[in-house]
Amino acid sequence: MQQLLNGIFIGSIYALFAIGFTLVFGILDRLNLAHPAVFAASAFVGIELVERGGLSLWAALPIVFVFGAVLGLLIERLAFRPLKGRADAHFAGLISSIALAGMLIALLQWRYGPDTRRFPAGSFPDTRFEVAGAQVTLVQVVILAVSLALMVGLTYMVTRTRLGRGMRAVAENPTAARVLGVNVDRITAVTFAISSALGAVAGVLFAINVNTAQLGMGSAIELKGLAVIIVGGMGSLPGALIGGLVLGLAEVFAVQYIGSSWRDVIAFGLLFLILLVRPQGLLGARRVREV
Amino acid sequence: MLAEYATPLTFIALGAVFAYSFYAVLIAGQLSLGQAGFASVAAFSAATLAPSGDDVGDVPALLVAVVIGMAVGALAAVVLGLPTMHLRGVYLAIATLGFAEAVRVVLLNLEWTGGAQGLGVPRILTVGMAWTALAVVAYWFWRMGRSRYGRALEAIREDELAARSMGIDVGRHRLAAFVTAGAVAGLYGVLFAYYVRLIAPGDFDFSAAVEGLVTAVVGGSTMFLGPLLGSGFQTMVPEIQRAVGVEAGWIRPFLAGLLLLVVILFLPGGLASLIPRRTRMPSSVGGGEDGGTSHLAARRHPTPGETVVSLSGLGKEYGGVHAVRGVDLEIGSGEVVGLIGPNGAGKTTLVNMISGLVPPSSGSATVLGVPVGRTPVHRVAAAGVSRTFQHSKLFNRLSALENVLVGAHLVSRPTFLRRLLWLPSARRDERASLEHAARCLQRVGLGDLAGNRASSLSYGDQRRLEIARALASDPSLLILDEPAAGMNHVEAAGLSELIRSLARGGLTILFIEHNVGMVLETCTRVVVLDFGEVIASGTPEEIAANPAVIEAYLGTADEEPAAGSIAEGTLADPTGGGAHAMPPDTRTPDAVTNVDPGSAGTLPPPDTTPRSAT
Repeated sequence: MQQLLNGIFIGSIYALFAIGFTLVFGILDRLNLAHPAVFAASAFVGIELVERGGLSLWAALPIVFVFGAVLGLLIERLAFRPLKGRADAHFAGLISSIALAGMLIALLQWRYGPDTRRFPAGSFPDTRFEVAGAQVTLVQVVILAVSLALMVGLTYMVTRTRLGRGMRAVAENPTAARVLGVNVDRITAVTFAISSALGAVAGVLFAINVNTAQLGMGSAIELKGLAVIIVGGMGSLPGALIGGLVLGLAEVFAVQYIGSSWRDVIAFGLLFLILLVRPQGLLGARRVREV
Repeated sequence: MLAEYATPLTFIALGAVFAYSFYAVLIAGQLSLGQAGFASVAAFSAATLAPSGDDVGDVPALLVAVVIGMAVGALAAVVLGLPTMHLRGVYLAIATLGFAEAVRVVLLNLEWTGGAQGLGVPRILTVGMAWTALAVVAYWFWRMGRSRYGRALEAIREDELAARSMGIDVGRHRLAAFVTAGAVAGLYGVLFAYYVRLIAPGDFDFSAAVEGLVTAVVGGSTMFLGPLLGSGFQTMVPEIQRAVGVEAGWIRPFLAGLLLLVVILFLPGGLASLIPRRTRMPSSVGGGEDGGTSHLAARRHPTPGETVVSLSGLGKEYGGVHAVRGVDLEIGSGEVVGLIGPNGAGKTTLVNMISGLVPPSSGSATVLGVPVGRTPVHRVAAAGVSRTFQHSKLFNRLSALENVLVGAHLVSRPTFLRRLLWLPSARRDERASLEHAARCLQRVGLGDLAGNRASSLSYGDQRRLEIARALASDPSLLILDEPAAGMNHVEAAGLSELIRSLARGGLTILFIEHNVGMVLETCTRVVVLDFGEVIASGTPEEIAANPAVIEAYLGTADEEPAAGSIAEGTLADPTGGGAHAMPPDTRTPDAVTNVDPGSAGTLPPPDTTPRSAT
């Protein structure tokens, strides 16, 4: 039971991170590899807000959300918009976002140094609950609640609002969307902003969960994020949620029953299997090729 | 002097070899991140299996290790490639990445690899050996570039479907590229192991794979020098920073990232795009028909009157919409058959079935003795079917001449291995192909534009280039899908003349066209399709007088428009359908209302489910 809950908590963070990833891929057909750097950056910024700004853990979250959104706009402007209309935009976007991620991590190193950072002592409330014989901290409950709230909010936005309709239109066919008066550039920028804001919140939540932030934390989760969006189906929001939870649970149980050193084999074995059997992922739609 | 720079120079060579393993697949448009896994497996196997340098001497030991490593790398690529070759783009990248990560974790947990401590390997590699290995690899890709095999890979990168239609076995070529990548990655793994003294599975992780990919793309993934330039760039940027006194810490990675960003944003083809790309032109064109073609493979064409296409009860259904229904059609050798009909009548679906792109849902079709639908597209092409597409599917980043050279894939001989050995016969074959391609270009009037990029041509020229490319395979059956779309009267008349001259040479031609005037004056037989069914078939004179045809084209007041228009996707036809190309006498307002707004109620509701929310 304890393992199940732990799996769900870590899985919800993976899901939140992966949803930001998959949002950009699903709507804009681009893989933004600067996303993990946003994840890491926001963890450091979150810690600084609590440490120096004296904010409570929860007050820092909205600020980090905005910080992530701004980073997202920057990423779009610097790494993706200049590539618009190029035949190799796919590869080039991968590389330019990797370059930007490298710059971002270098800036973090300049500001915070290469060492691991932690939240100041006493910033966590020590309320605990007992759920069916398992220990759950208030912090974990809030992590789950925030992740779920953001995912539900995003789903509502995409399916119900005007902005979401614009996003779906761009996802279907950017040219047609433009012809019909959708401001594709604005939708693109907003998509990046939302995606990065989610990645940023995921970063802080992750840092809260393990009480550490490291420069390399982004690359550690990058692979998992990719695995999650493949398992769930590229571009599928519910798929990313399910994929995140599946991965979190698989990891926790693999550690318990097989040993921690084999943990990642499970994750990637699963990933590989799904790609072979169902390349479009659990909930992904297969795209039809035109002649 | 050299000793001082030996370390960075060796790393440039190593980085370049690794980058070539990415180049090997990028050239075919595949994105793989599994090379780190191949390198890892190869390095550990070779270091364990190869004899010690003390027993057999250093260089033989390294050579044996290289052979083992390349074989293991290639084998790993086959094992991974067979189940994953149907994946495309990012999916392939992530599947191969998953493989590489799984390899890393497995090696980390095995006894014989030394786990996280790593495995000690003697340092044998010198800077000279590293550069020799690099030179061999670079030579391989240099000679590949202008060979038939290299062009086929580029064609696959540019447009896979068109490459298939030109008779290229895409699956085999993609696997071959993948296995090459595996062997080169294996080579890198071994060289790396015999230089750094201690290898651990962590040396071949995700960031190593990304580094290799970045090197290949920054250098340029369309030119064989690219990986070398990329590696020089990636290795020298930190070295130069150190030399000019940029302090360590955050500034170096920041500047490296910034430079990378600048290169990728402002040099679309990578660093290699700074080197002008030479377009080859045949030295002599038209040096006698027989002189050139003797080096090209001869094809057997059907004798006049022999049945070329035989369709019986052929039908295609898309989710309840009958795009084509019960079509029976026989086309004999030497006929010029025009296929006309309103938008959405199922014309393109029908020719897609004949050329093997779309499997029929009912009925059977035999084309040039091949049962299409159960035969891969490239085999249908090999049987002698060649086609153009409704929306041009050219290899955009290749020159016009290169496009046609790819079209000649089926009639030219493989030249890559002979080019590696500089055999004169390869040179002769290449020249023969070039002259053949140039003749095809001249035939459609594009001789002067041979060196231009396909994407830079005007719309009409692109259509003509597609015809030249289709002709280059010396087909028995030529299928043209709206060849005159976007052409003016004069150009269309020229096209009509070209089609008739091809037919005089014995070629069987099936073409879809909305320019009814042109069809009537060009064809020996006209087939009219409406709602997926053949409503008339006969000589141009019979068709012009057929009341059913006139009704289909002009429509009647109370008729509900065709549902088949959705199936064929002509709603999104950027050419605006065919009415514009019809001569004034047949043109009436009703001719275009095959799909009118009022018909929306009879169409299946569009699928509004967003991809992002499914």
